[in-house]
Amino acid sequence: MSTALSLHQSRKRKNSVMMALCVVAAGIGLAWLALILGALIYKGLSGVSLAVFTEMTPPPGDAGGLLNAIYGSIVMTIIGILVGTPIGVLAGTYMAEYGRFSKLTTVVRFINDILLSAPSIIVGLFVYELMVRPMGHFSAIAGAVALSILVIPVVVRTTEDMLNLVPNALREAGTAIGAPRWVVIRSVAYRAAMSGIVTGILLAVARISGETAPLLFTALNNQFWSSNLNAPMASLPVTIFQFALSPYEEWQQLAWTGALIITLTVLGLSIFARSLTGRREDR
Amino acid sequence: MSAVQEAMPAARGSRDATVRRFALTDAIFRALTKAAAILVLVLLGGVAISLIAGSWPALSTFGLSFVGSEAWNPVTEKFGALAPIYGTIITSAIAIVIAVPIGIGIAIFLTELCPRPLRRPIGMAVELLAGIPSIIYGIWGLFVFAPFLQTTVQPFIIWMFHGIPGLNSLFAGPPYGIGLLTSAMILAIMILPFITSITKDVFDTVPSVLKESAYGIGCTTWEVTRRVVIPYTRVGIMGGVMLALGRALGETMAVTFVIGNAHRISASLFAPATTISATIANEFTEAVGDLYTSSLVALGLILFIITFIILAIARYMLLRIDSRAGA
Amino acid sequence: MKPMLSTDLNVPDTAVEKAKIEVKGLNFYYGQSKALKDINLSLPERSVTAFIGPSGCGKSTLLRVLNRIYELYPKQSAEGQVLLDGKNILDRSQDLNLLRTKIGMVFQKPTPFPMSIYENIAFGVRLYEKISKAEMDNRVESALKRAALWNEVKDKLNASGQSLSGGQQQRLCIARTVAVKPEVILLDEPASALDPLSTAKIEELIDELQADYTIVIVTHNMQQAARVSRQTAFMYLGELVEFDRTEKIFTSPHEKRTQDYITGRFG
Repeated sequence: MSTALSLHQSRKRKNSVMMALCVVAAGIGLAWLALILGALIYKGLSGVSLAVFTEMTPPPGDAGGLLNAIYGSIVMTIIGILVGTPIGVLAGTYMAEYGRFSKLTTVVRFINDILLSAPSIIVGLFVYELMVRPMGHFSAIAGAVALSILVIPVVVRTTEDMLNLVPNALREAGTAIGAPRWVVIRSVAYRAAMSGIVTGILLAVARISGETAPLLFTALNNQFWSSNLNAPMASLPVTIFQFALSPYEEWQQLAWTGALIITLTVLGLSIFARSLTGRREDR
Repeated sequence: MSAVQEAMPAARGSRDATVRRFALTDAIFRALTKAAAILVLVLLGGVAISLIAGSWPALSTFGLSFVGSEAWNPVTEKFGALAPIYGTIITSAIAIVIAVPIGIGIAIFLTELCPRPLRRPIGMAVELLAGIPSIIYGIWGLFVFAPFLQTTVQPFIIWMFHGIPGLNSLFAGPPYGIGLLTSAMILAIMILPFITSITKDVFDTVPSVLKESAYGIGCTTWEVTRRVVIPYTRVGIMGGVMLALGRALGETMAVTFVIGNAHRISASLFAPATTISATIANEFTEAVGDLYTSSLVALGLILFIITFIILAIARYMLLRIDSRAGA
Repeated sequence: MKPMLSTDLNVPDTAVEKAKIEVKGLNFYYGQSKALKDINLSLPERSVTAFIGPSGCGKSTLLRVLNRIYELYPKQSAEGQVLLDGKNILDRSQDLNLLRTKIGMVFQKPTPFPMSIYENIAFGVRLYEKISKAEMDNRVESALKRAALWNEVKDKLNASGQSLSGGQQQRLCIARTVAVKPEVILLDEPASALDPLSTAKIEELIDELQADYTIVIVTHNMQQAARVSRQTAFMYLGELVEFDRTEKIFTSPHEKRTQDYITGRFG
């Protein structure tokens, strides 16, 4: 009787200890992340001014802004999305529709998942070998291609997942009315999966807008305003990288401010993307 | 024209034309989607081929000794990958050791302990943090975390272990702030949300009847977690850990800021070091000479091979838990 | 056409009428397993035929052969002949999309497309016909009237099809099918997901539609088969056990297995 009771007590004690550890883990994890965000806001906000959005990146030791870097990031992100999204959506469509039962789909899914988590610096090297070396110079278009290669696996994955969620009954109904497969896909399946696919694209935007490594030796950097896609172009992440590692205080401040801008953009996009699918689930 | 068609809406001729047009457009669309799917395979193949081609000069010059040599001298053009490989593996391994228990702890907290109204917001916060660009972790590590370690934690640890054989060389000074351990800790923070979110997802695949029956025979929350939930999801957790490891191995920006970029292998975890990705990021644009560039690409190839193997294992494991959840 | 003997087990007395669909020696496979075994029957034009039988007997499979919807999935194959107006639709050269405009189908669960009520109907029409807006409006209206839905939705044609109730959705699906002017309508347990009132409306509708269409309905509800159909096929384990006039099947079936099923001894 007493041993049974003490066993019970020791089990209870062990449970309390382990559960307390889990709470501590959650506390540590959240505190750490809060510290990072706190520092980011504290250091970043103090540098936010109109000049950040209206002036070019300054030479060492001077005041200035991030306009050309912001512009470059937006341009390369947009091109990356415009190139990567159609390919990703089409590939995901093959996997969920025409090729749903084919061997090719299994292989592509596996390879795509690997691409999804492959180190982005490898993608940078690939585009360097593919475009920069043959062309003989760094260029914005090479940077955009590198970003599009990061977009493709994200969009492939969400497109396939979302199309797989469309009930087969809906496809059968479309087919039964005499519509060819591609019309069923376009007018029925895409429509039913629309919000999910858009979410995937927004998450892809969020992902590439903070990517640095693949741009380092594709788009390189440019201290001046440039809208020439065939020339090096500044981007926010690469500028942050360069400025943060510099000894100049003005540059370091701009790096923090840039980091804050990127983080808010990424968080905003992610929250917006999730709210889209959230609404869908409610319906 | 349209009046005629209105008069005979099911006109045979136009209907046959439509049928032929549909057959053609459908075949085109099908071919397009298939080509896009194949392009995904071509991409990965292209990455492999371009890395092999780019690293060929280095590999043919140094042969297998490239992997075994610690030398990294752009002036004499002697290059070896051992130091970056060592740095990559050590930082990732320490990061995993730190992040996995904490990540699983948070996941247990979220699924078993957290009050219901807080569960969604915290879970969502964790997922959002997993999406924060790694350069943010890097800049924080450089300006906030490393100085903090340098002035407080590192001197204390060096002082505490200085008389103990083994530990004193593992934690030998001077305290730079930046170095192997700092990088590993930044990596740990970075992959933490990632591990938590995957672990939480696989915990959610445990059928509630299974947990209920364990509670039903009087198990405590810890016993249910330890004896039912974790064994049931073991493969999935392992898959998630491997995926996180793949991330840590290939992570560039968070590490580049705080590793110190020193091509040597030191016993001390406080010493500056380098990783494969940090070396490439720091030196690629400044590398002069084919052999130098090629050596950096060869580093990339090694990283690609390591991460490919790790990720393939991870995906295989996650695939297994997916198919079980689906069945 | 071959002359048929009325004593033939699989030919009902109505066989003297023109057969719209004739099934001859049909076998169907899911991979290796045989789901339909040597089915022979003929469906008379402009009347309702019901397929009944316990679940897994192959009644839905047989229905899905008639418009070859099974082709959406791999490893499903049919052999034998299915003649529509004397032409074999299992023939390789048969265009599937065209076949399906002639043979419409309504499913167990209502399947409105993710678009407006108006578009749900216009979508199918637009595929094969180029008609003016006014003409399309007429088509949509007459289809909705045909499906006894017009009065309920005429003020909200731009509302989503998915906003309707289950019974309304199912009638929208019938309207959608009718709008493309098929010759045959296949109904796969069209009322099994609906409440009794909606079911009664659907049955009423089927009764009206048979004036213009050849209708085949799969149902697990024997009363429903008895109420709506003129002839009934009883299937069991992939075989066609008995096919005859509905009142004959339900009052004096030829086969013992039919009788056992009708009286509720299995299934």
